[in-house]
Amino acid sequence: MKLQVTQENLNRALSSVARVATSKNSLPILSNVLVKTSDNRLSLSATNLDIGITHYIGAKVSEEGSITVPARLMQDFVSSLPAGIINLDLAETKLKVTTDQYQSVVNGIVADDFPVMPAIANGKTWEVPGALLKKALQQVVFAASNDETRPVLTAVILHTFEGHLYMATTDSYRLAEKDLGPNTEDVTLLIPASALQDLLRILGDTTDPVRVTHDDQQVLFQVGDVELVTRLIEGKYPDYRKLIPQSFATQATLKRADLVNVTKVSSLFARESAGSVTIEVDEASGNLSIRSVASQLGENNANATASVIGSGSITLNSRYLLDGLNALSGETVTFGFNGKLEPTLLTDAKAPDYRHVVMPLKG
Amino acid sequence: MQKDSLWLAVLGEIELSVSRGNYVTWFKNTQLIKHDSESTVIAVANVFIKQQLERKYSDLISETLRKNNIISDKLEFKITAQAGVPRRTKDDEQVTITSAAETPQYREPQAAMPIKAAGNNFSHSYRQGINERYTFDTFIVGSGNELAFAACQSIAQSPGNKYNPLFLYGGAGIGKTHLIQAVGNATLARNPGAKVLYITTEQFVQEFVDALRFRKTADFASYYRTADVLIVDDIQFIAGKEKMQEEFFHTFNAIHQGNRQIIISSDKPPKEIPTLEERLRSRFAWGMSIDMQNPDFETRCAIVQTKAQTHNIVLPNDVVDYLAMNIQTNIRELEGALNQLLAFCEMRSLDPSLSIVTNMLGVNKTRPKHLSAKQIIERTAKHFQIPMEDILGPKRDKDIVVPRQIAMYILRSELHLSFPKIARELGRKDHTTAIHSVEKIEKESRLDASLRSTISEIKERLYA
Repeated sequence: MKLQVTQENLNRALSSVARVATSKNSLPILSNVLVKTSDNRLSLSATNLDIGITHYIGAKVSEEGSITVPARLMQDFVSSLPAGIINLDLAETKLKVTTDQYQSVVNGIVADDFPVMPAIANGKTWEVPGALLKKALQQVVFAASNDETRPVLTAVILHTFEGHLYMATTDSYRLAEKDLGPNTEDVTLLIPASALQDLLRILGDTTDPVRVTHDDQQVLFQVGDVELVTRLIEGKYPDYRKLIPQSFATQATLKRADLVNVTKVSSLFARESAGSVTIEVDEASGNLSIRSVASQLGENNANATASVIGSGSITLNSRYLLDGLNALSGETVTFGFNGKLEPTLLTDAKAPDYRHVVMPLKG
Repeated sequence: MQKDSLWLAVLGEIELSVSRGNYVTWFKNTQLIKHDSESTVIAVANVFIKQQLERKYSDLISETLRKNNIISDKLEFKITAQAGVPRRTKDDEQVTITSAAETPQYREPQAAMPIKAAGNNFSHSYRQGINERYTFDTFIVGSGNELAFAACQSIAQSPGNKYNPLFLYGGAGIGKTHLIQAVGNATLARNPGAKVLYITTEQFVQEFVDALRFRKTADFASYYRTADVLIVDDIQFIAGKEKMQEEFFHTFNAIHQGNRQIIISSDKPPKEIPTLEERLRSRFAWGMSIDMQNPDFETRCAIVQTKAQTHNIVLPNDVVDYLAMNIQTNIRELEGALNQLLAFCEMRSLDPSLSIVTNMLGVNKTRPKHLSAKQIIERTAKHFQIPMEDILGPKRDKDIVVPRQIAMYILRSELHLSFPKIARELGRKDHTTAIHSVEKIEKESRLDASLRSTISEIKERLYA
């Protein structure tokens, strides 16, 4: 293998794949990145056996070949090189990396032992706008569970319902759902949330459409020159739509920034009580008040003006409430709930494509 | 379950031929879903593993399967969620036990249920070969066997957990069988559903030969490989039987991999069993090897007293001392002498007394007087394959000195010759040489099993 590549390209490719190569794994080759020439391009791949990422970059290839090299070392090394041309030259398992200033030799492991990136032979392919996918991921992925004993809840569900594509997560305490608009393909995919966090990183500021290809075991995302493949989680996702309340006894609409502020302040006094804050909505005064009590520290009462329908109060975990409020991005937020133990819904009337449900705290 | 243990055996073998990292990454959480003549299907956690196994390891897997009598046209890999979940290991479970005071519960064994699958041609029940008479209560603990006793008790508490395998070795009639049977009894008392198999190596070989003859090797394998506790007595007899060693190797792996218990006894330590395959030897030495020593005088007294008590007879102290003093190495012999004494007394309605026992043992002690010092020296020299002249001569090379010392020791212990006489017999001038030699061998033979077995071999030849 012999080729020339720019430092900028190589660095970009390494930074998108190297994170996946873990040293936690007991198999040394998995902490390496596979460097391989293909069709006058250079591909860099890494995998942790759950997901695999391949990044293609342009290169001037004078001799084909492949090798795996330690991801960490390679990334740190290349990122500290000056911009310009880098020469890669492979002899046996030693990769010579030379620039005008530096001559280094990186010891590699033969590429033959590196796991093959899975190819999806008979899959369905469709596209989704990159910016929309990114926004959806930002709004939804964080609410997935990380409790491995219930694998299904560690997934993000991407499914078609009445002609629209929806993305949703729940960890059984809260739930987030995003409507991605009309979609002709009928899909139901349970994608590991951790893989989608990596996808989010790769998406960057792309405006290109993202190609999604899947069969019943894995899904491949193609974003420009980067490919991310991940396994799908087996199982049946709970019918989460039933959990989203449709009508409310109490509803308050107010500036999102206001509610974020009062919640933040209250949460300071709620540290002892697992973030518990109580929200009271009073129809007569058109007031939303939020209260938290910390027996050691003291207590806090904060008010915000809101347009209110119905009166009532509910106790929530302030952290979940803040997460939900931050996932909404509009000016205003509508806050609706029923009884003390019923789910609370956060929505924005101007952006009805996103819904966030938070379960209340008991007593 | 049968599939599980078969697969464990296969994995055990694969583990040896690939690197640790490769094994953990590609093989560890795989499962055998089904196997018939058409295809063998293996469950894997994800597509990476599937591809890697297909690409790099399918030959290895097929070959190992074939060795374990799974022969199919096709080898398939299937991705299932189930395969990704690691098998619950013992460690996981211990974390969940909250109360430290609680003794660890006997683990529900993976392989306890499917007795039908094992086939009925092996007509044992689950408590195969376990004699109820051998319990921990009737075992007398002395300095020579307290370690073995403690290890066995701890195993009976939680089989498969520690000291796996347990390898007990020591001379004949010092309680190996009693102890390992006691583990079986105690395990069954705690968990009547456990599959505890006791088998002598000879039986094991015999059954294996039968299995080969009637083409039932798969049944044979699955029967033994699913044991929760497998106790194999007198493993030294496996020496030189290669096919048997291979079979036992797989059985061993299957059980050990499944965190189930293996207990082995032998008359010598693993490294001294001749023609034992290296992979078995290293496996035997893997868990804990315990050298069971001859009982000391006090222990022998305690044994005599306890045995007499079971016959509701209290022996006078001098009788107990005499018995314990005169029969030193073999408890079986000691018991025999006691039984003889008790029978003699009962028939003649006498009370056991020192004079009776002296008379009787005098007769019983067939140690022949006709054995001469010369014979002993000759025998010893022959055993070490050195010429008589050397052992009697002035040479002080190590390979001459040790046999000479052993000869002196045997002269002393068998013929009770005086030290000056021993010295003279071996052409030494000074009787202190003889004293030193006898003491040295006495001391070393207590520590060194191989020396002990050498001496007993020479003695056996002498009386043969």
